Amino acid sequence: MQAHRTKATVTMISGRNGSRLRPRGQTREGSSASCRFRMGKAGLALVFLSVAGCSGIKAPVPTDPDSLAEYKAANDPYEPLNRKTFNLTMKFDKWALRPVAKAYVWTVPRPVRNSLGNMITTMNEPSVFFNDVGAGKPRRAGDAFVRWCLNMTVGIGGLIDVAKMAGYPHHDNDAGLTLANWGISSGPYLFLPMGPSSFRDGIGYGIDQGLSPWNYVPRGYGLISFNWAYNMFGVVHGRSEHLDDLDALERDALDPYATIRSAYQQQRKAQAEALKNDHRATVPAWYQ
Amino acid sequence: MIFQAGRRIVLGSLALACAGLLVSMPARAAQDPRTFIQTFGNTLVSIVNSPIPLGEKKVKILPLVQQNVDIDAIGRFCMGRYWKLATPEQRQTYLSLFHDVLVNTIIDKLGAYRGVTFTIGDVSKSGDLDAVQTTLVLPQQPPADVKWIVSYESGAPKVVDMVGEGASLRMTQRGDYEAYVGRNGGDVASLIKALKKQVAAHTAAATSTD
Repeated sequence: MQAHRTKATVTMISGRNGSRLRPRGQTREGSSASCRFRMGKAGLALVFLSVAGCSGIKAPVPTDPDSLAEYKAANDPYEPLNRKTFNLTMKFDKWALRPVAKAYVWTVPRPVRNSLGNMITTMNEPSVFFNDVGAGKPRRAGDAFVRWCLNMTVGIGGLIDVAKMAGYPHHDNDAGLTLANWGISSGPYLFLPMGPSSFRDGIGYGIDQGLSPWNYVPRGYGLISFNWAYNMFGVVHGRSEHLDDLDALERDALDPYATIRSAYQQQRKAQAEALKNDHRATVPAWYQ
Repeated sequence: MIFQAGRRIVLGSLALACAGLLVSMPARAAQDPRTFIQTFGNTLVSIVNSPIPLGEKKVKILPLVQQNVDIDAIGRFCMGRYWKLATPEQRQTYLSLFHDVLVNTIIDKLGAYRGVTFTIGDVSKSGDLDAVQTTLVLPQQPPADVKWIVSYESGAPKVVDMVGEGASLRMTQRGDYEAYVGRNGGDVASLIKALKKQVAAHTAAATSTD
């Protein structure tokens, strides 16, 4: 009976509504070309080592019909690799992210946390807007646009969700869903370090980075530092929202990996359907 | 003592009266899933909101859930393809454990709260099942949209699933159980053992905090 709990876990380690940013240009600071080359080589060697260290990346395809049906339903051919990533992520979560998130909840009162959460949501609004446009949903795009304009001005940089009070509640969108709306299927399931994903949603994650204006901030004026702080804070805040859910999942699920996989796949499917079936008119009801 | 016994009798007779009411009106309720969920939800929420210890809440919630939720059907569904491989004894043990697991989950989720409210939204139909949309509000938490799936297969309306943010509870649970049994060599006994351990751990945690 964990569906209700696990719904939250799908965004668990990723902050800012499922997207975590890595500011561009950061590597440029203070790193010479040769240094980068050395680091690149070391990184490549590390990847090879870890790949070699994995006993298997792909799970063998079962032969008996029942197991085969289950294998197909799970849509997870890279399960051995995914499970390794999952275990590593959970270890990191246990020893680093969860304690930090707990400390954050303990020190920062809820109203302040709510405001900061509003800010994170508002700052992601441009990415939601571009995706709404890409998905061909003008009403949603309009909502996102109004939310951005209202919250960034009257809402003091997003700290107060004025738009919600004005009748424009937040809705989520990301490039994975936009691609889904274009009829692209999810592809195999993937567990990435930032949380559950799939081939399509992983690519979507990359597109979202490109769509977010915060990744284009120029160097100087402390903007890059602000961006890093904002991103890391987004991750901690995102995790703090799901402390109880994930604790319950770890306690109750016999196989947390499979539980998260199932909940994530169902949730993405439902989100894609909801986006597809949103045919609301762009004009307000009183105008029609 | 006398007060306690008196209260128990009063509450017991109240519960009986409620149960009697529910039994006497399945035909009416069968036509209206909204009324069914409203009645079930109100009773559940009134127990959750009452100022009694968790242990007592559980004692009261168990019969209510057994009355209104088709726990056996959900249990069968959750075991997935291993249901037909299980022996009759295994099935029975599993189902009785599953009753505990399900009620424990409800208690864990709602038990500690006071001031839980819920509102009923749209009712839609999908095949033989009715889906009743509700919004559950827990104190200090954002409101949660939960869809209750009601089936009439057993003659009376019974809840067979809950859908929260697109994820079906029984589907997710089936994913969990099937994967667990699959990774333990397809042995149903491993699932029963794990559930026993889980129920025991829950009881131990509950008694230590009481």
